[in-house]
Order: sequence, then structure tokens, then C-alpha cells
Amino acid sequence: MSDPEMRALDRHSLAMTIWLCCGFVAAACFSYGFGAGGILFVAWGFSVILAGFIAHIIVNAVYDAYFTSRELALGLIAYAVALVSFGLALLLSHDFARRQFLPVSLGLIIVPAVVIFYMIVHFGVRRTFESFDVIRRFSRSNRSAS
Amino acid sequence: MTELLAIALGILLAYALYIAVQCTRHDPNGESHLLAAASLPTWTYVFAASGIAVSALGIPDHLRLLSFYGFQRNQLVLGLIIVALTGTLFQRRLTIAARIVGARTVGELFGVYYQSTTIRLYLLLLTFLFAVPFAAAALTEAGMLLSATTGHLPVVPSIAAIAIFLFLFSAIGGWRAVIYVTAAFSALLLVLMIFISGFSAAVFDQLAVLSRSGTTQPGGILTDAIPGVIQLVRGVGKEAPQGGLWTTAAAASFAIAAIGIVLSPGFGFLGLTTRTRRGFAFSQVWILAALAAGTLLFLGPIIGAEMVASASSAPTSPGDTSFGPLTGRLARADELVAICLVVMLIVSLLITVGFFTASGASIFTTELVDRYFVPGMIGSERRLAARIALAAICFTATLLACFLPITTAIVSSTTLSLSAQLLPAFLGVCWLRWISRSAVIAGLIVGSLLVIFTEPPGLVLFDRLFVELPWGRWPLTIHSAAWGLPFNLAACLIVSLWTRNDVEHRHRDQLHDIYLRDDWIAFGGRAARGAKWSLPLLWSFFALGPGAILGNTFFSRPIFIDKDASLGVPSLWVWQAIFWIAGVLLVWWLAYRVRLSIVDVSSVRTRTLAGRQWSAGGSLQPKWIEVSLARLARRENIAR
Repeated sequence: MSDPEMRALDRHSLAMTIWLCCGFVAAACFSYGFGAGGILFVAWGFSVILAGFIAHIIVNAVYDAYFTSRELALGLIAYAVALVSFGLALLLSHDFARRQFLPVSLGLIIVPAVVIFYMIVHFGVRRTFESFDVIRRFSRSNRSAS
Repeated sequence: MTELLAIALGILLAYALYIAVQCTRHDPNGESHLLAAASLPTWTYVFAASGIAVSALGIPDHLRLLSFYGFQRNQLVLGLIIVALTGTLFQRRLTIAARIVGARTVGELFGVYYQSTTIRLYLLLLTFLFAVPFAAAALTEAGMLLSATTGHLPVVPSIAAIAIFLFLFSAIGGWRAVIYVTAAFSALLLVLMIFISGFSAAVFDQLAVLSRSGTTQPGGILTDAIPGVIQLVRGVGKEAPQGGLWTTAAAASFAIAAIGIVLSPGFGFLGLTTRTRRGFAFSQVWILAALAAGTLLFLGPIIGAEMVASASSAPTSPGDTSFGPLTGRLARADELVAICLVVMLIVSLLITVGFFTASGASIFTTELVDRYFVPGMIGSERRLAARIALAAICFTATLLACFLPITTAIVSSTTLSLSAQLLPAFLGVCWLRWISRSAVIAGLIVGSLLVIFTEPPGLVLFDRLFVELPWGRWPLTIHSAAWGLPFNLAACLIVSLWTRNDVEHRHRDQLHDIYLRDDWIAFGGRAARGAKWSLPLLWSFFALGPGAILGNTFFSRPIFIDKDASLGVPSLWVWQAIFWIAGVLLVWWLAYRVRLSIVDVSSVRTRTLAGRQWSAGGSLQPKWIEVSLARLARRENIAR
């Protein structure tokens, strides 16, 4: 095993460890928060996710690395699943919509806000905007293909 | 709840398998399967070492006993500071010595330093005890916990399922994967313990630990006081001590047993296979002494008290306590939180089983197979040998856990105490050049005999074969490790007096001369030297020794005023908290300021000591093994 491979494996394992710990606690907080726990525990759940994200950033800084494409894909899928589940829960459960709309929607806004804030700090405004500028990337790839 | 538990354990299994597959993908030839190329990252040591030290003490047992005995049992957590101090004393020198002689395991190092096969065999016996009976006892407990939580899954399939899970990821990923997973589970254990305690504080009306102060358990057990310095009783099973088992003598002697974890061959193997040694000090000071000991000291009593408060009736014996009522109470609030409690307990047991079976397999392959049976194996052959060794260990441990749980518990009770008897051998390699081979062996024989005859194996055997002994387990409330160690040290000292100028001393001097030249530790002047050995002793006297008895009433009935003070928490808890802080500062001072745990290998050259006498990792196949193996191979060929 070469040294860069070993470092990548070390970083990935540490990141996975962080999410394993945060995942269990966040799931329990959400589960109780959606039941008898209320807004406080939902907020705790989102806080734990943000803590996990910050810890992941620290790991990246220590290992002088950035999120891998797999990690980004996994994060995006998890967020998309959460959004869809939230939408379905709002449609199917009146009680959920009445009690949980505000805290969950706030949490779902804060999480990407923190991610974008991190990207701005890390890359600067222009490169952050370019990361999301799908139209330009699409037209560039079309041009190079033709 | 069964489905949720299955999902939670499935996530752990998926995680472990994923890590194992990642490790083996990067190592197709199996070169680093056995030793992880001695390049485990610092963060794994930081978490894994602390997790192993805490888990090997038995978290479920500790919480159960905490719920019965209260704060007198909590005193034992301060023993983790002694564990950290022991790590501080030996880890640096052990790493340096292994580098100098090119040893891969503690057994190889001791074998080559003391020129002794007996000491090697003793270490292999200890490796076996940790890998098989000790791991099997934890496996039984994990299976019973799983079975009790699901309610309908029998114990034997539960044990088998856990064993298969542990074997799979260890066999696929090798030593590196085991340590990654152990580190992750250790972090999870810590996080879940904090979460469960925090949840109990937030959700339950009032914390039982605060309302329980001043109460006495049935049987006169004092829950917030230490029941004396020592009690003149014949031991567990013969005579019950008044007010509880955990006197200051019991707590101090239990701390001596706890150092057996740091001195175990598996723990040493972990240290020797870690890449940069920066993690030693951080792990010992901030994770083990500060975080792990602090979490157990403050949150353990909260969980223990909630266990009692959740039960329908107060327990009349330690055996009456169980996690069932608390799990049920948490499940009524939220099932996933109850699952977190069960996962926390199972994970602590998985750490013990996974680490000790895998380290056992690696050590046996390195020290037995590679050295005596099949010398000169290449990477893939070594990986196969390690997998076969692991399969044999896991199979034996599972059989014992499933079908002989009582025998396993009896045999495993001696493991930590026997491991603690290695203290003089470690002192000899790391610090005291005059400790000779004969002295170490004499001490080991005397110490081990005393350990065995103050623990169930010796007592049961002697009772069955000859006559009933007049004492029981841990006479005078002193743990077996502390019965063995003073006599061990005395025997070692006496024999060393006669043998200090023997012909081997020149051989031992070579290593210590290199320490003096390349690994000099500045202990300072006379006063500074005095402080370095007297402060730990002073701390031990007040935190764990006879001085701890003052903590019973020191803050609730201060000696300076006539009135009683109302703290809201037991005086003993405050005493423990103060000495925990003092203990962390002490470990920090020794590890960082005195630089006992700061390893700088830049000035130490690898394999400085060469020659036949210092050949640590070389193979040494005796003629009779060579002939026997050749004969077997020839028969196999003829049969084909």
C-alpha cells in the first residue's frame, strides 16, 4: 500500500467513524423529536449533523484533502431523501405538518446554508458559484463534444 | 424493537465489512494483513487504546455493579488514571526497544532481551487467555444481552451471529481493519454513553442519582460511602463484607488488576504497530484519563441509578440488577433511544472480543507459525496463516461461550491479574537493568500462584481435589492481582540481588546503554526526581488508597465547622471528581512535561543491536519440528 493510498484510507475511515457516531445520535434525536420530544430534540438532531459536518471539515484540513466525489454523492442523496421524506410526511400527516413544519424546514435550510458558507470560505464566491453553474458547464461540455 | 435492533446492528456490520473490504483492496498481496505494515494512524491508537482499556474492564458489569453498590463502585473508575500512568511509564521505552532490536511483538522483545523461552511461553499463554476465555466471557455476555433484548432469540444463535460478524471483518480486513473498527466503536461507545445520560437528564422527571443520596441498599450496602479501608473477611463466597465489597483496599487492588490491560501482549502489539508515536501522550492524557475516566465517573452513576429507579423493586443482590427495566423505560419514551443503550453495551463487548481475538491471531502467527512451523512465509501465506489462526480462536471462543459459560467465566477471571504480574518484566526491559531473567521468572511463578489461589480456578480445583481452603475469592477485600504483585516483586528483588552480576548482565546492559545514549530522559535534580515518584504515590494514597476513606464525609460534614453541609450530591462523588482532575494533571505532567510519552525515534536507529543473541524476528525452527513437518508433507504427497 503506497503512502498516499494509506493516507486516503485513514482519512476516509476517520470520516466514516464521525458519521457513524453522529448518525446514531441524530437518528435517535429525530425519532424522539418527531414523537414526544418536540422542537428541541429536532434541533438537537440537526445540530449533531452540523457537528458531524464540521468535524469532517476538520479531518479534511488535517489530511489536506477535500470531500471525495463519493462522499459528495452520498451527502446529496441523503439530503434529497430527507427532502422527499419531509414532503411526503407533510402531505400524508396533518399532525406532522402542524407540529414539525417549522423546525424541520428550518433545519433543512440551515444545513445547505452551512455547506454553502463553508464553500465560500474555502473556495471564494466565484468558484462556489461555478460549482453550481450547471448551464455553463453543460454548454462547455457540449461545445467540446462538437 | 427487534427489527430496529437488527437494523442498528446491521449498520455496524455493514460499516465493519466496508472498512475491511477497503483495507484488503489496498493490500492485494496481503503484505500488511498481519502487522498493518506497522503504520496504523495516530487517531486509531488514540481512540482504540482508550476504548480497549475501558471495555476490558466490562462496561455492562460495571454499570450493573454501579447500580447495586453506588458510589463505592464508582471509586474503581479512578483506576483508569493508574492505567494511563502505566502506559506513560512503558509505552515510549517499549517502542524504542522494539525499534532497536527489530521486534514485532512484546513476546519477541522480551524473549530476546531476557534470552528466555519461558517468558515467551508465559506471554503466549497470556495471549491465549485474552484471546479465548476472556473474549469468550465477553461473547457470552453480548449474546445474553442480545437475546434478552429481542426476547425470543436464543442465546446460542445470538453468540454465533456475533462471532461470525467479528470473524468476517477481521479475516477479510486484517489487523488494520480491526483497529479502524475498534477505534470507531470506541468513539461510538463514548458518544452513546454521553447521549444516554443526557437524554435521561432531559426526559426523566428527576435524576435518580440525586434523589438516591444517603440511601442504603437491602443488605446494608452503603451506596454513597466506602465501607472501610479494609475488611477482615475471608473473601467472596465465604464471608460477605459489611456495607459492601468495595473498600479502599479493593479499589486500589482492582486498579493494579486494571494495569494488566496495558501490560497485555495485545495492547503492546497495538503500540508497536502504530505509525507515528505522537498519539501515546494524547491518548493517555486526554482520551483515557480525562475523557473516558471523566465520562464513566460522572455519567456511570447516572445510568446506574436510573437502572435502579426503573426496576419495580430494589435489587437484593448484584445478580438481581439488569438492563431490562431501563431499556423498557427508555423504549416507552422512544424505541430508538433504547436501541442506543443496547448498542452501547454490545459495542463495548464487541471491542473486547474483536480486539483480543484478532491480536491473538496476529501474535500466534508471528511468534509461533512464522518462527517455528513455516519460516520464511510470503505475504499471502502469512495472511492465510493468520486467517486460520483467527478461525481457530473464534471457533474455540464461540464453543466456550455457547456451551461452557461458567467454566469460561472461572478461567477468564485470572486473565487481568496474571497479566499484571508482568510488571517486573516490563520494568526490567524499560528501566531497571539489574532485573534478571531468573528474577522475572521467579516473580512470575510466585505471583501467578497467588493469583490462581485467590481466584476461582485455584479455589475450585483445590476444593475438588484436596480440601476446602479457608479463604474465598479476594480475601480481606484485596483483589487477586494485588495478592500476587507484592510477592512477585519481593521474589524478583531477592533473586535479582543474587543474580545482578550474572553473565547475562552484559547482554542486558547493551540495550540500557543505548537508552542512555539515544533516549535520555531528563528527570531533573534531586527534588524533581523525588517529586516524580512521590506525587503519583501521594495521589494514589488519597484517590484510591486508605486516604480515600476521608471522602465519605469530607464535604458533607467538614472537619472545620460543626454543621453539616448540603451539597446535593454525595461527598464521595465530589472527592472522586477532585482526584480525577488531580489525576489528569498528574498524567499530563508526566506524559508531556517530563516527556515520558513523547516518542522521538529520529535519534534511535532501527536494529542497532544485531547479532545472533539480538535476533528478535528471525525464525528458529527446531530440528524435530522440521523433521515432523517434512514427514507429514511426504505422507500427504504419497496419499495423493
